[in-house]
Amino acid sequence: MTSLIRAACTLLVVSLATAAAAQARIDAPAPQFTATDSNGNTHSLDEYRGKYVVLEWHNQGCPYTRKHYLSGNMQSLQKGWTAKGVVWFTVISSAPGEQGYVTASQENAYMAKMHADPTAALLDPSGKLGHLYDAKTTPDMYVINPSGNLIYSGAIDNRPTPDESDIQGADNYVNDALTEAMNGKTVATPYTRPYGCSVKYGD
Amino acid sequence: MRILHRIFGLFCLLFAALPAFATSNSADVPHLHVQLVIPSSTLAQGQAAKAGLYFKLEPGWHVYWENAGDSGEPPHLKWTLPAGVTATPIEFPAPQRLPLPPLMDFGYENEVLFPFTFQVAPSAQQGSAVLHAKVDWLVCREVCIPGKAELETTRTIAASGAAATPVEPDASLYARVGDKLPQPLPSSAKLGFEPTPTGFRLTVETGQRETQAAFFPIDQLVIDNPSPQKLTPTVKGFTLDLKKDANLTANPAQLNGVIELAGNRAYEISAAKGKPAAPQPIPVAATQSASAPAATEQSAAPAAPQSPLNLWKSTALAFLGGLILNLMPCVFPVLFLKGLGLVQSSAEERSRLRIHGFVYTAGILVSFWALVAALLALRTAGSRLGWGFQFQSPVFLMLMAALLFFLGLSLAGQFEIGLTLTSTGNSLAQKHGFTGSFFTGVLAVIVATPCTAPFMGAAIGYALAAPAIVTFAVFTALALGLAAPYVALTLQPAWTRLLPKPGAWMEVLRQAVSVPIFATVIWLAWVIAESYGATLLAALLVVFLVLAIAGWFLGRWPTKRWSAGIAAFALFVSAFSVYAANAFVSAPTEQSAQTGGWQPWSQSAVEKNLAAGRPVFVDFTAKWCLSCQVNERIALSRPEVQQAFAASNVALFRADWTQHDESIAEALQKLGRSGVPAYALYTPGQSNPQLLPEALTPGIVLDAINSLPKTAASIGR
Repeated sequence: MTSLIRAACTLLVVSLATAAAAQARIDAPAPQFTATDSNGNTHSLDEYRGKYVVLEWHNQGCPYTRKHYLSGNMQSLQKGWTAKGVVWFTVISSAPGEQGYVTASQENAYMAKMHADPTAALLDPSGKLGHLYDAKTTPDMYVINPSGNLIYSGAIDNRPTPDESDIQGADNYVNDALTEAMNGKTVATPYTRPYGCSVKYGD
Repeated sequence: MRILHRIFGLFCLLFAALPAFATSNSADVPHLHVQLVIPSSTLAQGQAAKAGLYFKLEPGWHVYWENAGDSGEPPHLKWTLPAGVTATPIEFPAPQRLPLPPLMDFGYENEVLFPFTFQVAPSAQQGSAVLHAKVDWLVCREVCIPGKAELETTRTIAASGAAATPVEPDASLYARVGDKLPQPLPSSAKLGFEPTPTGFRLTVETGQRETQAAFFPIDQLVIDNPSPQKLTPTVKGFTLDLKKDANLTANPAQLNGVIELAGNRAYEISAAKGKPAAPQPIPVAATQSASAPAATEQSAAPAAPQSPLNLWKSTALAFLGGLILNLMPCVFPVLFLKGLGLVQSSAEERSRLRIHGFVYTAGILVSFWALVAALLALRTAGSRLGWGFQFQSPVFLMLMAALLFFLGLSLAGQFEIGLTLTSTGNSLAQKHGFTGSFFTGVLAVIVATPCTAPFMGAAIGYALAAPAIVTFAVFTALALGLAAPYVALTLQPAWTRLLPKPGAWMEVLRQAVSVPIFATVIWLAWVIAESYGATLLAALLVVFLVLAIAGWFLGRWPTKRWSAGIAAFALFVSAFSVYAANAFVSAPTEQSAQTGGWQPWSQSAVEKNLAAGRPVFVDFTAKWCLSCQVNERIALSRPEVQQAFAASNVALFRADWTQHDESIAEALQKLGRSGVPAYALYTPGQSNPQLLPEALTPGIVLDAINSLPKTAASIGR
């Protein structure tokens, strides 16, 4: 009798433990979210079914983020892919008081200054969106395909340095993933270790 | 303050960007001191010389290990060396875990020396040699600052055997911190790892009981770094339960990395998949041979949610569960009657009956496999449809809780499931011969539904989360357990006498099983309340009520078609409300992303804003207050309302009464309200605020904002 109870409970507990591990997984549906951008508009992921969506975790004070912005690399990715119909969200999960935290107007000023051109910059000071995707670093990049599945998660490219000079000749994983997916191929490198500063979540 | 922050940041960046120009053997940059350490004055031709790269860090700052963990980068070193001299790559001492919730990094605080070796060719030119290195690193505390330096030092290349003198402070520094590299495991040690449903169980035998151990993976993206590593000491070593990376698709052949044990012992390991090289599997053998660790094993095995269950354990439990199913009132009488039939059978018939027993087993197995196939298909389809079959998914949690609750009701005796199914099954089972036996097996599964469903519910939950092979093994074991007693009786009919007589005890047993089921329901409800708040818990309780009504109809009027219809309708309503509730869950995300405008309430803050000429809106709310949540969602957080607030320069305050707060209670009393929700809009210069009704619409709020004097709106902009 006790065995039955134990068996039943253990099974449940095990299933829980296994399931709890699941977060943003490659080739699985990307977690749904709704968030507000720096212009006060809300965006939810379901609205963009049918389009590729890129999530770019961002911290304007992080040297690794600065590498891609001061060189213009990130902006050209944003411009290039949004022109092809890709939805590009810059996500800021820095908590108030932490490096990279910005108010809506600060972010707008920053984007204007940097000539950044994402579809929108999502403000996530609570870190909810960051935790949902388990975003680790800035930059940490995610690519979601038109059917809502996550097809890439990880580093922006294969050179984990803060040096602008390393951008030339680097293998850009986001470009690769989008290009391959749009040509009907499977993404060759769907998961890499993201590099950069840790996301400055609150406590 | 913010400007200061920025200037500081800029300053740091400037520093970071500028390589330290000094051609010295060390550099002092913000937060660290970096130095080349070469203890000997001479490098001998044809020999190797030890050296190191040393970092001294400010308190709280750290540099990184080879695998930096979730963020960070290890230091790099590039050499410009005279012909004939080469340097090996730097090696990494055993790191420490650097928690940075929710992340986990691996690295070093205070000080660290990365050793390397100069190799000098016999042909290297004798005399003074300039050793020039470009170093880069990332140093982090809350923020990360990349740094670079060019370090240079001079040593003499001399003939082998020439006199060498130690150079200070290099020699003493190297002597103090130079030898902290992880060692190879002693050859007497054994190690291996086995996959578990959630990751890996690493087993290491060092020859002594280990009460402290941490594993640092060299390979990235294999282990989930922040997860606690659950240690179980064994007689000869330890086991460590590691959670795998969520995106890991294929198990690695080896786990490579470093283990750190008590007493500053660190070993470099490469554990192969499979049992530790020695034959005794630690968990079982150790428990038998010694009593002390047996207790540890026991206490470690159940309960703890993180403890992964080995495949064999789940399978064993499932088999046991299958055996117990035979005692259920829906199955036991069938088994008993079959057993009696066997006792009365003649000796010649026995061998034939044995075959019947196996065909019966096949019937049960096929039914379970069909169920597994259906489940796996459902799972695949489900993930394609975007269902989250995970316990974080509120839909799954709620469906699980609802299912268990409904089955608990059935077990407790409110109603019977599957009466109609039983009758269809019966006609097939009436057939004689092997077909009959096969369908008796199938029937045993179907007939058992009312009793087994709760158990199956748990197993199904497991199946939806576990890998296909595990699901298959568990269900097969369950089937074999269910079949085992009958097969045993066909082999030895006399055993029937050992069986207790069917009777009321079976009913009692069945009802008793509902207790743990309801306990599980309570726990699931707690998880839901904890993760998604009171709103969803309330929704769940409503679902329970609807299910209880469905159960009532099924139990009171079991044979009436309309009663089944009402029950089906109730079930549909429950399923629908679960999905509707899910929509409620995603709302808070939106909510919290928008909380930017809301500040925590305090009387003084309100007065300060009013004094500055700003209108103030206060939302008196509490998490347990359903209408507050509804108002916030349908009125206050609507974009048009938020825009109107912003346009009129209204300061927004939220007074959260979730926990009792005397000052909020007092403020409510002053407003003439005894509780939440309450909404007050203060106009500067007027003593009494405008109170809004308890049920808000965007229109009510907009009207109130528009009624503000225009002058108030323009002041303070």
